[in-house]
Amino acid sequence: MSSSWYPVASGDDLAPRHVFHTALGGQELALWRDDAGFANVWENRCPHRGVRLTIGANLGTELRCQYHGWRFSSGSGQCAAIPAHPGFTPSQGLKVKTYPCVERYGLVWTTLDESPEDIPDLGAAAWRSLRAIFVEAPLAAIAPHLPEQTGLALFLQPVSETRTVIHGLSGDMSFSPRQHDDALTRLRDRIESATP
Amino acid sequence: MDQVALDEWHVVAALPSLPFGQEVATRLLGTDLALMRSPGDVVAAWPAASGKALPVCIRYGHVWTSLGTPARPLFDLPEFAEPDRRNVMAGSVPVHVSAPRAVENFLDLGHFAYVHDGYLGVEPHTEIKPYKVTSDENGVLATECRAYQPQASLIAEGGFEVEYVYRVPHPYCAILYKSSVLDEKRRDVIAIFVQPVEEERIVAHMLASVLDDVSSDDAIKNFQQLIFAQDKPILENQIPKRLPLHPRAEAWAPADAGSAAYRRWLSSRGVRYGTIPA
Repeated sequence: MSSSWYPVASGDDLAPRHVFHTALGGQELALWRDDAGFANVWENRCPHRGVRLTIGANLGTELRCQYHGWRFSSGSGQCAAIPAHPGFTPSQGLKVKTYPCVERYGLVWTTLDESPEDIPDLGAAAWRSLRAIFVEAPLAAIAPHLPEQTGLALFLQPVSETRTVIHGLSGDMSFSPRQHDDALTRLRDRIESATP
Repeated sequence: MDQVALDEWHVVAALPSLPFGQEVATRLLGTDLALMRSPGDVVAAWPAASGKALPVCIRYGHVWTSLGTPARPLFDLPEFAEPDRRNVMAGSVPVHVSAPRAVENFLDLGHFAYVHDGYLGVEPHTEIKPYKVTSDENGVLATECRAYQPQASLIAEGGFEVEYVYRVPHPYCAILYKSSVLDEKRRDVIAIFVQPVEEERIVAHMLASVLDDVSSDDAIKNFQQLIFAQDKPILENQIPKRLPLHPRAEAWAPADAGSAAYRRWLSSRGVRYGTIPA
């Protein structure tokens, strides 16, 4: 994986009080938006007993693990409460692993790297995100086949070694999202039938 | 292959689940086995590949075997023989997790109010008071464990503070003793015998040995299965599926003293199967 920002969701996927599951480069992620609108990109694993945070609850300012009710603060991922010990202040550093998050062009972007290249600059045009297309193929098998078309921007999320998501943005309002959807679906079918 | 795990007795079936005279396939430590029950409750077990007879014992309503040479007899559970107890083979549930993760969950007090909300715990009664943990070569013992339970058992009426004792006499088996509703001097016994099918796949066999002169066997089974059905999705969402034994692999709270002792005991006994050794 190159040192980049990758889109990992559409902003709309992070619905109020929801926890969204995805992955980047084999790393499972739990994405959730707090009530103030801030989007969190976290490792999908409670530091206590390893339970996926995507089966937990988005409480609006904290995410609560489903196993022991430990609560973790939006932004920092710091453990805010351990219900088994109500009087106890969790130590600094007892936190969920967090990743940087930027919302741009209607997509949620993150990076697993310390110093990634910038998110591509698409100018000031109005972009709307298309339906994300899951492809059962590695990123390298897809990249050469992406169409180049004015008013269409495509980005790849390498979910794992064998699975990729195509995130599309349409800046040409004369094209309906359905036309782009159809073209990307045909692209997926061609790539998957050529991938062993 | 882990010689320590090979040389243990392992559960492979609940006896009542085996038909007479019919070969039943199961799997233990990644090896395909065949079981055959004959009249008189004689059970034979052999690896599907070799046909060579394995040692078998039938205890606590379950069938146990070993792929190696058992270094010690199976642990004692004397309550099973008490004449006024109801011994119910309460279910055998496949779970996609390692055996030690399942045992650790069985020992865990802190999850009651969240995973078993309304039964074994409820908010705001979430505090876990200090309890005593000891261990020796024979296993781990946690005593003076207390939990407020809204529906501690099938015949409990209303919530009360229940006292628990937990015992881990085997790397993949755990037993809990909790205050009886009928007789305050005695305790109900619930045991989990975990069959390590593969490193990350198990069958959890449950035994209820309880003082209950009211409930049907089916009702006792249903209650245990209801509780375990709440645990199963938690177990299947733990990452990694194997239990990490390094003391700093996962975060700790004082309520986890029992699981800390269990992990140390697994390390000292040299159990590797289903774990990530320290």
